[in-house]
Amino acid sequence: MSLLTGEGIHSGYGDMEVLHDVSFRIEEKEIISIIGPNGAGKSTLLKTIFGLLKPTKGSVTFKENSITGLAPDRIVRLGMAYVPQVENVFPSLTAQENLEMGAFIRKDDFSDRLEEVYELFPLLKERRRQRVGKMSGGERQMVAMGRALMLDPELLMLDEPSAALAPKLAEMIFERITAINETGVSILIVEQNAKESLKLADRGYVLASGQNRFEDTGENLLANEEIGQLYLGG
Amino acid sequence: MQILSRIPQLLIYGVISGSILSLGGIGVSLTYSILGFANFAHGDFMALGAYIALGLFTLTAGLGIPSTPLGPLSFGFGFILSFILAMGLTALTVVLIDRFLFKRLRHTSSIILMMSSIGVALGLRNVLQFFWGPQPHYYIEKIQLAIVIPGVGVRIKPDQVFIIIAAIVSVGLVHYFLQHTKMGKAMRATADNMALARVTGINTERVILWTWVIGAALAATAGILAGIENKFITPELGWQMLLSIFASVVLGGLGNPYGAILGGMIIGLSEEVSTAFISTGYKPAVAFIIMIIMLLIKPTGLLGKRR
Repeated sequence: MSLLTGEGIHSGYGDMEVLHDVSFRIEEKEIISIIGPNGAGKSTLLKTIFGLLKPTKGSVTFKENSITGLAPDRIVRLGMAYVPQVENVFPSLTAQENLEMGAFIRKDDFSDRLEEVYELFPLLKERRRQRVGKMSGGERQMVAMGRALMLDPELLMLDEPSAALAPKLAEMIFERITAINETGVSILIVEQNAKESLKLADRGYVLASGQNRFEDTGENLLANEEIGQLYLGG
Repeated sequence: MQILSRIPQLLIYGVISGSILSLGGIGVSLTYSILGFANFAHGDFMALGAYIALGLFTLTAGLGIPSTPLGPLSFGFGFILSFILAMGLTALTVVLIDRFLFKRLRHTSSIILMMSSIGVALGLRNVLQFFWGPQPHYYIEKIQLAIVIPGVGVRIKPDQVFIIIAAIVSVGLVHYFLQHTKMGKAMRATADNMALARVTGINTERVILWTWVIGAALAATAGILAGIENKFITPELGWQMLLSIFASVVLGGLGNPYGAILGGMIIGLSEEVSTAFISTGYKPAVAFIIMIIMLLIKPTGLLGKRR
């Protein structure tokens, strides 16, 4: 049984349907990359999985439980975490407070987990008392990912983690994503930066106009000429 | 020279009035930052607190709880007990108002919430008037002599010192709550971004409940302190202060409780000092003018963040 499966998902905003029959699956410990041009429905797909949008048709199953249309605060308790593309941190809180909020539903002592997250992002430990609103884009992305990891999720969903970051920082974020995956977390990543994200992905899906176009291993997708020309800028 | 010599005394009055405005403003600011609407009923929460305390005080006196004045103060243990219980009962009433009214309207718009808060304001004021009548009720009948602070020559009554200390303690507790407790941090997080707070797993309904509890307890405190300062209360007590409170909140930065404290102090001081130059009747106009100037120069207020 796959960790997460989506079958025949139709979803969108109000009357505007963005996704027309999208299906996918994620196995345990996999990194899956979803690529596609602007407006293909990549972010819409993540929002639908996480319960921020209700699918009009189709189903989402996580760890053999149907989570179709379940509210985000319920889904987060099942072991799935989501990092939105923008406004993904609490700017007036310090870095550490942001991480503490990530563990809000935990009633026990989570200092061990905090240390583990600091091991993944040593820079955050240094800056733990700094307000996140004053941090750079790369640092904010680390705070956002750290916050999502506080509940020790089995699946982490990232919406364009490298967007608006300088190439060097983007590279560092991708390198951290691999490190997170090595701790046993499955990762679903949506990216504009298709080449980089396919390099680290076990498998990838190409989404276009709200529909599945291709599905293959990251390597094969990178080698595919048609995809190269259409979606990876030649 | 006549005018200038009055200023030190007016500064004392300003700090007292600023303390009361600040406590009222924190609640308005918290409600705005979490629920996104200007709560016009907040002034009437203050009056409600003041009347509940009055009712409880009458009750404690009837039960024989001693009300002999404590030290130099003009009120005793019975009054302080009523004060603390009134904070709790006001909070409970406000939470019930939220459950029955605001909660049901939360998914609508901020305009509808604001309009319904005007309804709550009118309703509460008329309930107070129904039970206690429109006439002023004496809070403290004892006449208290002011102490002259040597050297500066300003006069201050022990009750006024109590008001300032009560305000400092309340602000200290709010600060501790916001910065050092899990719920306080969640409240700041929810004020930053409610959608992200939900995605993170923060129980935003619980956060909203605490916002009302703290705002209402501070409103009751402000109302009771205003009663101590004025020596009497009327059902209009809070409504009359609402403009100055809104001015304080806008001046300090909408949605920032620390801004409300700073704004409250500035408005309180400006209103009192202005009486050295112009008639006392213009106090609300002073608050209003400061608010308009702030909106023209920097609409986000002194401590407000850019949106």
